[in-house]
Amino acid sequence: MSAIVHVEDFSFKYRDTKRRAVKHVSFDVEEGSCFAIIGANGSGKSTLCNALVGLIPHYFVGARAGRILIDGVDVAESTIAELSNTIGLVFQNPFNQLSYTAGTVAEELAYGLGNHGVARELMIERVEAVAKLMRIDHILDKNPLELSGGQVQRVAFGSTFIMEPRVLVLDECTTQLDPLGASEIFDIVKQLNADGVTVIMVDHDMERVAQYADTVMVLDRGSVAAIGAPYEVFADPELESHGVQPPDYVPLTRALGLPIEIREEPTIAAVKEVLA
Amino acid sequence: MPHHMPAMNTTVIGRLNPITKIVAVFSLGLSALAWPDFTLGLIVVALLFVVSFMAHIQKDFAKIMFGFGIPVTVMLMFIQGMYSPKNKTVLLDLGFSQLCLEGVLYAAKVVVSLLVFLGSFYIMNKTTYVGSMVAALTAVGLNAKVGYLVLASLNVVPQMQRRMAVIQEAQSARGLDATGGMLSRIKAYIPLLGPVVLSSLTDAQERGMTLETRGFGITGVRQTSYVKVDWNTMDTVANWVLGIVLLAVVVVSILMRIGVIPMLITWGGV
Repeated sequence: MSAIVHVEDFSFKYRDTKRRAVKHVSFDVEEGSCFAIIGANGSGKSTLCNALVGLIPHYFVGARAGRILIDGVDVAESTIAELSNTIGLVFQNPFNQLSYTAGTVAEELAYGLGNHGVARELMIERVEAVAKLMRIDHILDKNPLELSGGQVQRVAFGSTFIMEPRVLVLDECTTQLDPLGASEIFDIVKQLNADGVTVIMVDHDMERVAQYADTVMVLDRGSVAAIGAPYEVFADPELESHGVQPPDYVPLTRALGLPIEIREEPTIAAVKEVLA
Repeated sequence: MPHHMPAMNTTVIGRLNPITKIVAVFSLGLSALAWPDFTLGLIVVALLFVVSFMAHIQKDFAKIMFGFGIPVTVMLMFIQGMYSPKNKTVLLDLGFSQLCLEGVLYAAKVVVSLLVFLGSFYIMNKTTYVGSMVAALTAVGLNAKVGYLVLASLNVVPQMQRRMAVIQEAQSARGLDATGGMLSRIKAYIPLLGPVVLSSLTDAQERGMTLETRGFGITGVRQTSYVKVDWNTMDTVANWVLGIVLLAVVVVSILMRIGVIPMLITWGGV
């Protein structure tokens, strides 16, 4: 596999701030993999997401160093609109992801396709397919401004995914959803990932990260504190010093003197064995 | 077959292409303005009532027309009737002032012209989905950014109302009293203004980011729309008729003004 995202010694400081939001960050994301970025609040996760889709440097002004390549294209030399063909971002706040131009959910989903000049017939096909996948096909006639938080989050996710990006960046995209809804969304993410879409996820739910990610990167005050397979990262006793709590299964298995587990099923099996 | 569109006016008027309706607003409005007196405008206003019946919006239409028309007519008739410099023929001596025919007729001309613009615009607005309007305008060459401005401006009000309700709830939960008389209500709304304005600015920034990541502003691409806008034979006919009417009215009006065609009704001319 080749790297579809290449970040090389990237640093960025927002205008009017004293310290850099990200410092000398380097990493590669292999095509078709699921890459998680974790860290405490203010560690630079969202800044990095913004940089990946070109909002930095095209939207946010500041001092920048290093470079980011998306499928070989330098984001600094492309435009956000052009990059949107390859990489899509689902923001934290779904209400701000609405275009505020659509009278129905169907129109909202189709908004990005219209900007890219997709023919109406194809637009309708994609809207129907994505709505079914996101389980919002029953609200396609509704006004997006009249939906619940969870429904808007699904619409926001669908409106990014409908553009069929090769890389999907999810910046805490399930904050408005209940656990079941979040789980449904990540089932879809898992399916997309299995179909070859590269996923970059930012999440505070470490169990979920351990479940879905192939690689985990820990950011601490803008710098890369650790990067590796989920097991390597979560088994590191120093992890908490970077402001990140490992999944509950790590301290549980550690306390029982068992080999450290980061996922639910093997932990349950190990605990059952001890109790037996 | 429309796909997932909001409830729309399905009458013969509602089915007209939005461009036809825009042409109608300007053609009828300019015709009323160009005609030397108020008679043509009055006929158009009467026709607009018929159109409102056809569009099944007659009640709301009548409310708007009478609600605006009556006070403005009364106000203008008294102002122009008493103080217009063209006044000669006294209709009524009020003691402190005289109401004259020329001013009254001039006021009638102004009022009917305003009513033609207001009425035709109202019918267009009530029978046209704004998404269809923008799609139709974009299809004939309107810049997609201008189209966005139109749609977003219309949607920003409900968004701000929702945000205001959220902030008000949050402040009420911490003791703010938004009930009672007018003064206490106004006082209760003042602390809402700062957060509403500031959070709207933050939202606007984030929304700008969203739009960019969804291809807004992409160059070299002709934008398409999910909203289907039809152009039927009815539209072709209506546009020809409206164009010919405007042209004929302008030509006849000019000929009347320069005296080639005698004015049958000379009162109220401007």
